Amino acid sequence: MLHVADLVVVRDGHRVLDGVSLVVQPGERVAVHGPSGCGKTTLLHAIAGLVHIDAGSISLNHHDVTHTRAHQRGVGLVFQDDQLFAHLDVADNVSYALRVRGVAKRERFSVAQEWLERVGLSGFQHRRTASLSGGEAKRVALARTLAGGPNIVLLDEPLNGLDDELHDQLLGDVRSLFEQLGTTVVHVTHDRAEGAALCHRSIEFATLSA
Amino acid sequence: MGEPLSMSKPLSRGEPVSISEPVWHPAPARVALVVVSLWLGVFLVAPVLTMVGGFVAPSDISRVLALPSTWRLVWFSLWQSAISVAVTLIVAAPVTWLIGLHRFRGRRILRATTTVGFLLPSVVVATAFLAILPRSLHYTMFAVVIAHAYFNIAVVVRVVGARLELLDIQLINAARTLGAPPITVWRTIVWPLIRGAVAAAAAVIFLYCFTSFAVVRVLGGPRRSTLESDIALRAFGIGDIPAATVLALVQLVIVVSVIGVIRQLSGREQGLSRLAALPPTAVAHRQRLFACCVAIATATFVLLPIAALLWRSVQVGDTLSLAAWRTMYDSSLAASLWASARTALLAGVLGVALAVLTTLAVVRLGAIGRLIDMFSIVALAVSPVTLGLGLMLTFDIGWFDWRAKWWFVALAHTLVAFPLAVRVLVPAWRTTPIGMHQAAAVLGAGELRRLVDIDLRRMRPAIVASLGLIIAVSLGEFGAASLMSRAGGETMPVVIARLLSRTGDLVRAQAFVLASLLVVVCIAALVLVESALGRSDRVARR
Repeated sequence: MLHVADLVVVRDGHRVLDGVSLVVQPGERVAVHGPSGCGKTTLLHAIAGLVHIDAGSISLNHHDVTHTRAHQRGVGLVFQDDQLFAHLDVADNVSYALRVRGVAKRERFSVAQEWLERVGLSGFQHRRTASLSGGEAKRVALARTLAGGPNIVLLDEPLNGLDDELHDQLLGDVRSLFEQLGTTVVHVTHDRAEGAALCHRSIEFATLSA
Repeated sequence: MGEPLSMSKPLSRGEPVSISEPVWHPAPARVALVVVSLWLGVFLVAPVLTMVGGFVAPSDISRVLALPSTWRLVWFSLWQSAISVAVTLIVAAPVTWLIGLHRFRGRRILRATTTVGFLLPSVVVATAFLAILPRSLHYTMFAVVIAHAYFNIAVVVRVVGARLELLDIQLINAARTLGAPPITVWRTIVWPLIRGAVAAAAAVIFLYCFTSFAVVRVLGGPRRSTLESDIALRAFGIGDIPAATVLALVQLVIVVSVIGVIRQLSGREQGLSRLAALPPTAVAHRQRLFACCVAIATATFVLLPIAALLWRSVQVGDTLSLAAWRTMYDSSLAASLWASARTALLAGVLGVALAVLTTLAVVRLGAIGRLIDMFSIVALAVSPVTLGLGLMLTFDIGWFDWRAKWWFVALAHTLVAFPLAVRVLVPAWRTTPIGMHQAAAVLGAGELRRLVDIDLRRMRPAIVASLGLIIAVSLGEFGAASLMSRAGGETMPVVIARLLSRTGDLVRAQAFVLASLLVVVCIAALVLVESALGRSDRVARR
């Protein structure tokens, strides 16, 4: 369960988040809508521990993580622009969270293989990330996030920039994957239809502030 | 020698680095800062302070500054540098035009060829010109200036050529369609956009020529002396340490001023380099013959002295002979090979470690980082001879007695070369997008882990390039090594200079043999640096 209360983030004297509150139940998928520049990405980065929080609190599964550092939170984030590690191959990207935990290489590789199969990329283990298409890169980014076994997955407009056909196909695949896994998700997007298709409920970003 | 200050290319494609992001913890950078500060404090600042505080009285300063010979030295150092700059710009202009503005087969090879001279040890270049010039031109200003031009062509090609590559050809076309003849186009469009780069290149060349030691000593003859060569003479020939120290301070002041100018000009260049760029165009049909002549003349100018070295190494008197090569088994020559190799390797390892730690502090510590960056540049201002003198005065006394240790020279080489390595590493490090750090952080990677997995992993090619650069600098470094090496532990450049000062055909041929070997090793280092920098660019673009 994610509980965000009265979150304030100030940047350059401007309140990017001004008293934002949000509750997400375990297994729930919530879409947050809003126009570009309204602070959706900052909200996700705050939940992930990537920006300094000026006021408010964040708890995950009843543990206060407001001041917990990003790498200790157990939050998964799929970035808008994927942020794949270009110097690692696909399998090493997918299994990176396991490598950090000291999992043996052979085991990491088999986990990566398993996740790549799940996202429809069997046989991509040794591919360079630079050789991936836009849709393939997004699948790898999703697999990398899920392979770490996060408590919650944050999606930052992950289907942006795909053509309609690929977008719809990937949306269906992602939804069925989340349904299988029972993943808790916060999905920020400016596309209402995408939010409605993927999530149990949708919220306007503007309504999150007190 | 290595990449000068303004040669670091603006590689950044990733988001600008902001140290306020909580994804970074300052602890590793602070540790790096402490280590770098201690290292530079002990081996750079303390020796300079020892020189100034322990060996110079105010009366020494007035005594040395009152000597007409001091100002003759300053004047000679200044004007020979100015002439060298002018000649270098003239010699390098055609090939810079060709490489900077045109696309043709062999362009990369020609550019790499122009870099050969820059990476060759100064004593080797001087030796090569002794081999190629007629005896009537030995020990003349012409020999000094032409050798300086040989060294510094690469600076013009790299700095001005890179600026030319960024020129939008459409600007030139627009001026042409408005009726401007070619000369007017150059005067009113091209020159205003490249003059900053030309001035920056000129300042870098001036700096290298001003502190030139081996070239002046080998090619200038006994009557010509720069500040740098006179510091060595006074300290170790006459034993007048106070006078040597005062001259070193005079040189330091002039060099720091020139570095200030370089920084100013480089800053202006960065502002200009955001112009839209089109790839260089093919050589126009009517210019092909001229382009061909330029390429051949440049390659000949760079490669002929090297060929002459090889030729003279198999010439003993008037006969062709491998006698000099066979004497490589002679203990003193083989010993110099071994001394150079182990010194360069140790300097490489220490220098890379120091450069990586400095870079970490520079990119992560905001204002303190900028201060360290500036200090690493000021370290360049301390010439090798001055540095060697300071280290000797500080650590060759009492229980230290470090001059007896083989690694003492490597310490000096580390300090001479690491600022150049920092110039390579900082821009490469800054290309890592912050998003990559964020992605690794949310996947559970802590600060140190990310440092190893993201930064250092992406930096591998740049680190290899730095290693090659430091090794090349160390192999060719002559100023500090000539003061600090003891008999039996002398590096190759020192032995080359010693052999050249003796009479006898076989002895001179031995000098050419050693110089040829250094050429081979330095060209190997150049290939390593070039290919590693190419890989670093590719990583930066990902």
